Amino acid sequence: MLQYIGKRLLQSVLTLFIIITIVFSLLRLMPEEGYLGAAADKMSPAQQEIYLTNLGLREPLLVQLGNFCMNLFQGDLGKSVTYRTDVPVTTIIAGKVTYSLLFGLGAVALSLIVGVPLGIMMAYRKGRWLDRLGTGYIVFVVAVPAAVYYLVIQMYITDLFQLPMLFDEYRPITWILPLTSMALAPTASYAMWMRRYMVDELNKDYIKLARAKGVKERTLMFKHVLRNAFIPMAQYLPATILFTITGSIYIESLYSIPGMGGLLVDAIQRQDNTVVQGLVLVFSSLGIIGLILGDIAMALVDPRIKLGKGGGVR
Amino acid sequence: MTSKKPRILFIQNLVIQFTLRGRVLTAIRDISLDLYKGESLAIVGESGSGKSVLMKSIMGLLDKNGSIKQGRIIYQAQDLGQFTTEQEWLRVRGKEIAMVTQDPMTSLNPLKTIGKQIEECVVLHQGLKGKEAYEETLKLLKDVGIHDVKKRYKQYPHEFSGGMRQRIVIAIAIACKPNILICDEPTTALDVTIQAQILQLLKNLQHKYGLTIVYITHDLGVVAKVADRIAVMYAGDVIEVGETHEIFFNSKHPYTWALISSLPQLGSKGEQLYSIKGTPPNLFQEIKGDAFAPRNQYALKIDFLERPPFFQVSDTHYARTWLLDPLAPKVEPPAALQAFFAEGRQYASD
Ligand SMILES: Nc1ncnc2c1ncn2[C@@H]1O[C@H](COP(=O)(O)OP(=O)(O)OP(=O)(O)O)[C@@H](O)[C@H]1O
Ligand SMILES: [Mg+2]
Repeated sequence: MLQYIGKRLLQSVLTLFIIITIVFSLLRLMPEEGYLGAAADKMSPAQQEIYLTNLGLREPLLVQLGNFCMNLFQGDLGKSVTYRTDVPVTTIIAGKVTYSLLFGLGAVALSLIVGVPLGIMMAYRKGRWLDRLGTGYIVFVVAVPAAVYYLVIQMYITDLFQLPMLFDEYRPITWILPLTSMALAPTASYAMWMRRYMVDELNKDYIKLARAKGVKERTLMFKHVLRNAFIPMAQYLPATILFTITGSIYIESLYSIPGMGGLLVDAIQRQDNTVVQGLVLVFSSLGIIGLILGDIAMALVDPRIKLGKGGGVR
Repeated sequence: MTSKKPRILFIQNLVIQFTLRGRVLTAIRDISLDLYKGESLAIVGESGSGKSVLMKSIMGLLDKNGSIKQGRIIYQAQDLGQFTTEQEWLRVRGKEIAMVTQDPMTSLNPLKTIGKQIEECVVLHQGLKGKEAYEETLKLLKDVGIHDVKKRYKQYPHEFSGGMRQRIVIAIAIACKPNILICDEPTTALDVTIQAQILQLLKNLQHKYGLTIVYITHDLGVVAKVADRIAVMYAGDVIEVGETHEIFFNSKHPYTWALISSLPQLGSKGEQLYSIKGTPPNLFQEIKGDAFAPRNQYALKIDFLERPPFFQVSDTHYARTWLLDPLAPKVEPPAALQAFFAEGRQYASD
């Protein structure tokens, strides 16, 4: 087990390194004004050159990459250029992370609480009205771009219930709409997956044998089917959780929530290279952590995965 | 001789239909069949002839789009065909009538230890708990020829070979201490040596527990080894039934002849194996007369018009073919088959 986890961790570090390199290279392709910020206009070309040299941008690319990694290793993501000039990127991000985490986890919890039971009931009552209703909902959420129903919710529901349009930390009621909006899509996918995996299991031979054994339909559903259907879920859950946390960009800017999503949009608009770079790293690390957690969860629940030599082999 | 045994279950005029996209398919057409206590009955017939459907109906496991339209399935003075609720079925299913399924590789829950899967049955049907249930499970594992049972108890299905898994499936079936054991193609997925072992195991268990076994198969070779009686099915009907030697060496229905002629043992070297020409009838349509008539080289005019009744050949042997009617012209089976029949009869009389 430990060996397996170690191996997965190593793989992830490699993946992360590749991402770092890509992000790093992309940013080097951007215009250098990004590093000068608002001061650009006030500097002569010679001054600009000195400034950039001081930042280390005139070193060979590989050396730059090396330095970048070294700093990263020490938890230094550089300093913001334009967003909040000279404030360390880590400080800026740290201030925002809490909101994103709260909303992300809240939305995930909400969608799990609604989505998983919905999927189970849909599979249990396959073909009946609940299943059709659920399918309709899933199709709607998948087919209609999120931006559309986000906006509709913000515009009309606030009107309908006389709710404030924008987020205000101290008024709990303003948490509801952004949370619900964020939960809509993951609820649909949890329901869809759960239903699908359960129906998959239900069609398997071992279910027929269990039925022939004289196991009650209900016991069958909850003791055999549900547990087995949870395995593919277990693998993807952590990843979706983290993607939900990071994927709140649009909602955050819609409701003016001071989270990481809004920060990313701002930083891009203001061409703040270091902040963008830092955020991309945070987002991708979260994604990678999600994947590892998923694999570990899967390994824990599925006895067919042989741990140790050869990694995860079915 | 077999007929002296009491009947444990019998089916009368059973008709089963499925609805498929608004169309009605008749999978079982007016079947009557007796099952005697302690015997092993083989049901043979080509794919789609309705063997599995017939057995599923006995266990109340028909797919949702299928139902019994007519007839009775009598077991212990109750008509299983009238059962509607799960509760009623649970009194019989697993407990009185158990099943061994075809593919041992997929028939076990991959995420439960095999011990737990057997024990589930022990707890459910024998009402044992805790240590007692555990001991009983170990005993069952031994019964089906598994060694090192304490260790095996804790293992998962993927740690067993196909033959071993089939043994476990059998252990699950007998864990319920059933009266009737239905084996739907129990050895099709296994290689020949393992096949023989599993059949032997079933035979031993039959002795030990006084089981009545129904084998479903399209492999006549398997049948010859294990069955006391054979029922031959064609297009949802039982067209001939008799003791094993009667079906093998004195069959009367041209379809049974065709089945036996296609045995590899009957072909001579270098010659192409006999195969039945044509295809089985479309079950969506009403079948008039003898369903086999269009493929039957010996078909009479009446075969296309009216369904033949069961003609009695002996106390135990019946066949649905107009060829047995006193008015029918005398028809002999194909020459190769006649030789086989003669050989068999001689062997039997020795
Ligand atoms: N749920 C269903 N809906 C519609 N038709 C069905 C259904 N189940 C079985 N049938 C039909 O009933 C007929 C008999 O099927 P059955 O499975 O009993 O055949 P079988 O003799 O067991 O064949 P095999 O040897 O391939 O297992 C087939 O024509 C099949 O298509
Ligand atoms: Mg079948």
